[in-house]
Amino acid sequence: MSKTHTRREVLGHAARGTALAGLGGLTGLLWLKANATFAWSINAQRCINSRLGAVGVDVCERCSTECVLALSAVRAVNEFKSCGRCYVCPAYFKITSAVGPDGLPTEKVCPRDAIKREAIGWIDPDDPANNFYDYTIDETLCNGCGRCVLECKEPAGLGSIRLEVRHDTCLDCNRCAIAQACPEDAFDRPEPA
Amino acid sequence: MKYQPAHTIGGRGSAPDQFARALRGVALDGAGRLYAVGDSAVKVFDADDALARQWPTDRPGECVAVDRSGRVWVGEREQVEIFDSQGGLTDTWRDPGQLGLVTAIGFAGSDVFLADATARWVRRYDQGGRLLNNIGDRHRKGGFHIPNGVVDFAVDDEGILHVANPGMHRVERYSPDGTLLGRFGRFDGRDPEGFPGCCNPTNLTVDDQGRVIVSEKAGPRVKVYDPEGQLLEVVADDVFDPTAKNMDLVVDSRGRIFVADTATLEIRVFEPTGSEATA
Amino acid sequence: MPRCASLGTVLPRVAGPGLLLVLVLFGVSGPAAAQEHVEYERPVDVAPTEDTIGEGYVTPEVQRPRPRAAAWQIADVVLLAAALGVAAWLAIWRRQRGWLVALTTACLLYFGFYREGCVCPIGSTQNVAVALVDHTYAVPHYVIALFVLPLVAALFFGRVFCAGVCPLGAIQELMVLKPVEVPRRLDKALGWLKWIYLGTALYYAVLPAIERDFVICRFDPFVGLFRFTGAAWLLMVGGAFLVVGIFVGRPYCRWLCPYGALLSAFSRYAWRPFSITPSRELDCGLCQSACPYGAIEERRAVRTSCFACGRCYRSCPVHHAETPESVVPAAELAGRPPEAAP
Ligand code: SF4
Ligand code: SF4
Ligand code: SF4
Ligand code: SF4
Ligand code: SF4
Repeated sequence: MSKTHTRREVLGHAARGTALAGLGGLTGLLWLKANATFAWSINAQRCINSRLGAVGVDVCERCSTECVLALSAVRAVNEFKSCGRCYVCPAYFKITSAVGPDGLPTEKVCPRDAIKREAIGWIDPDDPANNFYDYTIDETLCNGCGRCVLECKEPAGLGSIRLEVRHDTCLDCNRCAIAQACPEDAFDRPEPA
Repeated sequence: MKYQPAHTIGGRGSAPDQFARALRGVALDGAGRLYAVGDSAVKVFDADDALARQWPTDRPGECVAVDRSGRVWVGEREQVEIFDSQGGLTDTWRDPGQLGLVTAIGFAGSDVFLADATARWVRRYDQGGRLLNNIGDRHRKGGFHIPNGVVDFAVDDEGILHVANPGMHRVERYSPDGTLLGRFGRFDGRDPEGFPGCCNPTNLTVDDQGRVIVSEKAGPRVKVYDPEGQLLEVVADDVFDPTAKNMDLVVDSRGRIFVADTATLEIRVFEPTGSEATA
Repeated sequence: MPRCASLGTVLPRVAGPGLLLVLVLFGVSGPAAAQEHVEYERPVDVAPTEDTIGEGYVTPEVQRPRPRAAAWQIADVVLLAAALGVAAWLAIWRRQRGWLVALTTACLLYFGFYREGCVCPIGSTQNVAVALVDHTYAVPHYVIALFVLPLVAALFFGRVFCAGVCPLGAIQELMVLKPVEVPRRLDKALGWLKWIYLGTALYYAVLPAIERDFVICRFDPFVGLFRFTGAAWLLMVGGAFLVVGIFVGRPYCRWLCPYGALLSAFSRYAWRPFSITPSRELDCGLCQSACPYGAIEERRAVRTSCFACGRCYRSCPVHHAETPESVVPAAELAGRPPEAAP
């Protein structure tokens, strides 16, 4: 009785030792290449809405529709320093809509009216075309639908607007629903350089 | 007057008469030879579109012009190189601290006009390279609105400058001393009469009857306006690569229009139909 | 109390391996700096500058909130290790249910509702699998730690992770109100499902990147509840699991959880698992009907399927008298089998 008990114990120790060693080896193996942080981000070079050369394509809205959050964690971001601050911004105005009496298109691109247009700097009192305008995206409204991003792209815009993941709202889902749905494989957890 | 696409010259490739990476400017000389700059070279095509000559430039060429004596001026970043008609370098103009990216060159009388895309206005020099005045600097917004990145202008036979002000959707006319003489154009995204998008027209040229031929980007299009600013003709709106932008253009004495497609690196030639000209 | 080893002597033994592992490894390499944005350059020289705009215009800053600090990742791992240690100590040394419930609640609040479920050891199985087959895929240190620590703990003490640390287990654990017995053969048969699920998950994880899918995360029925958002049908499935869980103890854990499959395999060789011993318990068999998970066979806890919830001690006449009633929530009292009623 006590002999079998001991054998069982010995076998148990052996099995446990083996398993521990296996886990240790696995950990070491993974540790060797472990370096990534788990922040999802959008590769703007790949996203169809901002990728250079992808002209005449349909807007990809998956960033706004797929996120597990009710209001997606993705926002459009205007990188002000590279914005042309145009009088008629194709990302703000639906430039194919009818022109109103003020000489500007009557419809806007953003379905949620999240972009604010504001004349900046010295204001020409006589000629609104002679002003620069800031286009500021209201992050409480934007849901990352990508329409403005698609419009503000070479050759029409300067590509100053792009989609970004807002890390303060993103839940860092292990399986990001957008990453799974992104047709361009642009949603990524980048490795540190 | 209708136009039809006749043929193309160049294209993307490594052959001598092709362009590897860039095609930025086109010009014609008095004998009808076509000059094109791209990469870092000037290529001269004779009347049969065969490559006649080519020579390298110091920096990538942004624009090219041929003056009345046949000298070839190439605008580059912060300098202008002047070659004789055989490609021998005769002079290099620099104006440190002043002259930035030169994107168009024109002549009237003894004046040389250089479009400076860094300062966003046109500079007027004398033949000796002395700065006389700037054109467009009276816009308090620091010159022309060029989100597209280039200032383009053309000088007509009377020495009047026609400058594209794309951000304001206008063509503006200036006297050499910088006085605004007039302007035409308005924004419209549907009506071809207006200029669409954020910033159009990007480039223009003037023919000997004072008609203004403009090119647009997004979507690329070439149109002809009469001297009063009335639309005469849409030359082409469907043949260019959709990503082409800042397409330089030039018109010859027979009314043929040469447009540099900056995406496919081809020079597209459009002929007036029903004219006596044959390519 | 001779049979209750003091926290001071047990905790080092319990939490020691895990904590040491984490601290040493983090100390060696440290979590990598976060790179949240891929390089993206567009020409800025054609944009008007502050000078040309004039009137003292200042280019607005673009706000870019950073991801959670690396310190929080370390905190998560340390908390996980500590919780595993405390769970083991409570279940195996203190032999007490009440405090286990408190621990379960705390872990549910932190790992579930506060951390909102991601990344968890269950899902990390897929990350580890991908990292093993795809040389371009790297998992951060803390995910490796999340994956390994509960398994190491299982090798020593059995499924203490399931006892009170796993938020998925915790939310089900607190729902067990009127458990009914599942026929043993059915229970056993359903238990195979988790292995099938594990296999399926691994299969989808090791597919080439473009077809890869993390099915465990995709069909996680509870994560949406932690976040108060998610696909409607999954929220409903989660709710259904909880409702079923009132009568059938921890259905996801017993029959579906892929990580539970791994844990049960590892706990087979546990050094000192949760146990019902004749020397410390009465050996009367009352506990057998107290276990809502069918994990007591022949008056002994089956180490591979026991979640170390401690209900058996509560029903044991020996322990019963000592249980501090004050810490037992009302739901818990209601769920107590009649044998254990005071
Ligand atoms: S991404 Fe969509 S919602 Fe956001 S600002 Fe652009 S158009 Fe509006
Ligand atoms: S199109 Fe883009 S670059 Fe141009 S004004 Fe609009 S946001 Fe700025
Ligand atoms: S990780 Fe989750 S929260 Fe973040 S963007 Fe993806 S789906 Fe949305
Ligand atoms: S899903 Fe992909 S392609 Fe679509 S908008 Fe998002 S990042 Fe761009
Ligand atoms: S069986 Fe799975 S879900 Fe349940 S407690 Fe254990 S690890 Fe968590």
